[in-house]
Amino acid sequence: MAFFTEYLADPRTREALFEQTLEHVYLTAIPILIAVVIGLFLGILAHRSPQLRSPILSTVSTFLTIPSLALFALLIPIVGIGATPAIIALTLYALLPIVRNTVSGLFSVDNAVVESAKGMGMNATTRLWKIELPNAWPVMLAGIRVATLLTVGIAAIAALVGGPGLGQEIFTGIRRIPATGSLESLLGGTLFIVVLAVLFDLLYLAIGRLTIPRGIRE
Amino acid sequence: MSDVTNADHPQARLGDEAHLGETMIELQELTKRFPGQESPAVDRLSLKIPKGEIVVFVGPSGCGKTTSLKMINRIIEPSSGHIIIDGEDVTTIDPNHLRRRIGYVIQQIGLFPHIRIGDNVATVPHLLGWDKERTDQRVDELLEVVGLPPDEYRERFPKELSGGQRQRVGVARALAADPPVLLMDEPFGAIDPITRTRLQNEFLRLQDELQKTIAFVTHDIDEAVKMGDRIAILQEGSRVAQFASPEEILTNPANEFVADFVGTGATLKRLKLTRVREVQPSEALTGRVDEDRETLRRRFDESDWTAMLLLDTENRPLRWLRGTDLRQTSRALDQVGYRARATVEPQATLSDALEEMLLGAAGVAIVIDRRGAYQGLLDIDDIITSIQTMKDAQAEFYRAAKLADPESEVSA
Repeated sequence: MAFFTEYLADPRTREALFEQTLEHVYLTAIPILIAVVIGLFLGILAHRSPQLRSPILSTVSTFLTIPSLALFALLIPIVGIGATPAIIALTLYALLPIVRNTVSGLFSVDNAVVESAKGMGMNATTRLWKIELPNAWPVMLAGIRVATLLTVGIAAIAALVGGPGLGQEIFTGIRRIPATGSLESLLGGTLFIVVLAVLFDLLYLAIGRLTIPRGIRE
Repeated sequence: MSDVTNADHPQARLGDEAHLGETMIELQELTKRFPGQESPAVDRLSLKIPKGEIVVFVGPSGCGKTTSLKMINRIIEPSSGHIIIDGEDVTTIDPNHLRRRIGYVIQQIGLFPHIRIGDNVATVPHLLGWDKERTDQRVDELLEVVGLPPDEYRERFPKELSGGQRQRVGVARALAADPPVLLMDEPFGAIDPITRTRLQNEFLRLQDELQKTIAFVTHDIDEAVKMGDRIAILQEGSRVAQFASPEEILTNPANEFVADFVGTGATLKRLKLTRVREVQPSEALTGRVDEDRETLRRRFDESDWTAMLLLDTENRPLRWLRGTDLRQTSRALDQVGYRARATVEPQATLSDALEEMLLGAAGVAIVIDRRGAYQGLLDIDDIITSIQTMKDAQAEFYRAAKLADPESEVSA
């Protein structure tokens, strides 16, 4: 492993890795934020409307079946290269877990709870925000977490379409095989992605602690 | 007579109108057809619920009683017909405003699990925009009323409460904005029998003070007899088979269906109609824990009782003491004898009292007041006397009916 420590000890690699890690964080966070907003909307719609439920769920499932490489490439003629195609593609991938868990989270809320809210004269909007979403939140948050971990991984492919992030280091390594230092780049990029995933997971643990109401915590 | 349905004669089973007080809820030809079902779930139900009374909807499952109840606050929208509350036709007003004026208690309770007990109770005051001070005061008052000390329970979450305690909160939440009308859908149905009896009694005591107009659904005729000022026995399609007082239904079922539904054991059921407070309790030999042991022993020896009821300083029953317990000196008086169980409150029914007697070893029930202080004793003879009185009254009723109308056939 001596060669790898040497690689990491080099200030230039370190600087590059940290910069790419920061980019990777943005590359994950932005699609997730967009997907949460869209996914929440689609999930609520799918829960409310039996007619729209199946079209919405199959559409977001279809996104995930498109191979990531193909999807990134398909977007280039439309939006060009760089971060934009990556962000769009990652947003589409993140939708499925978020929409699906929003729908099942809302369905998991006890009917009696919703009925008694209705019986006390809460209108549909108040019911949604004050009763249904808070009680569906643990399931929804689990969906967002899965979507984030998924995105951290797939985001590496963004480098192929000229996007930012740790994928650059990995693909630098792949392109230079079998030259010296290629394996180090490959491993370095991968290691930082794994560490990033673990950090995101810890972040969600903390978010759960802070946002899941005490009355429904396990 | 028995084949008359309310479809033919909407008023046929509404009882004698003259006996009804001011009407609070009136259902006019209320009908519900669910899509895809051939016959309506509720078929032209017409009923008047007098102000301040508990009217119980009872009937076999699938008769439409719950659907009927849920149309009153329009959780289920009627297909046709009208709902009049306190003189106002509410069939087409904003349902959310309607519901804030109607307390709603359901079997599954439906407390909001993610917020505290206090906030659950404050739901409707929040919706009505009450200020914090008024809301907090009301929440504490209501928790007190349902027997959950606010300081102990206000900040808890629903999952930290037992089923019985949760239903108390459910009742408090329904009463929060002091609605004139309450709808209760099998409110005590999912609660164990002992707690259920206690909650029923507490609720009746509460109703004595509150005088709400209540529509109450149950499938249990015993509960109907106990809770109802008036009972509507419903057949399929919510057709009213009989709408009358519990006494009337037990002594004079309108038709075969009602008779079958009421079932056998009408005498035992009628024990549920008489409250403990209506019977004169007898006096027990009592002594207080702060009295001198020698005084108690002398009082015991001078009486012909076989046991003495020991009360605490608040006059609450503690233990049954026998002569040997009074004569020994080694242990404190509240450590000897038997624990005094089998207590009933004045609003409990004789049926509850009988049950307590049979469960307790002593064969008597101790009557206590709200604060738990001793009031008197009931024994099995009191119950037998009371049954005899009821039977005599019934016989008298039929004799009078025959005299008044020689043509009538009294079949019962």
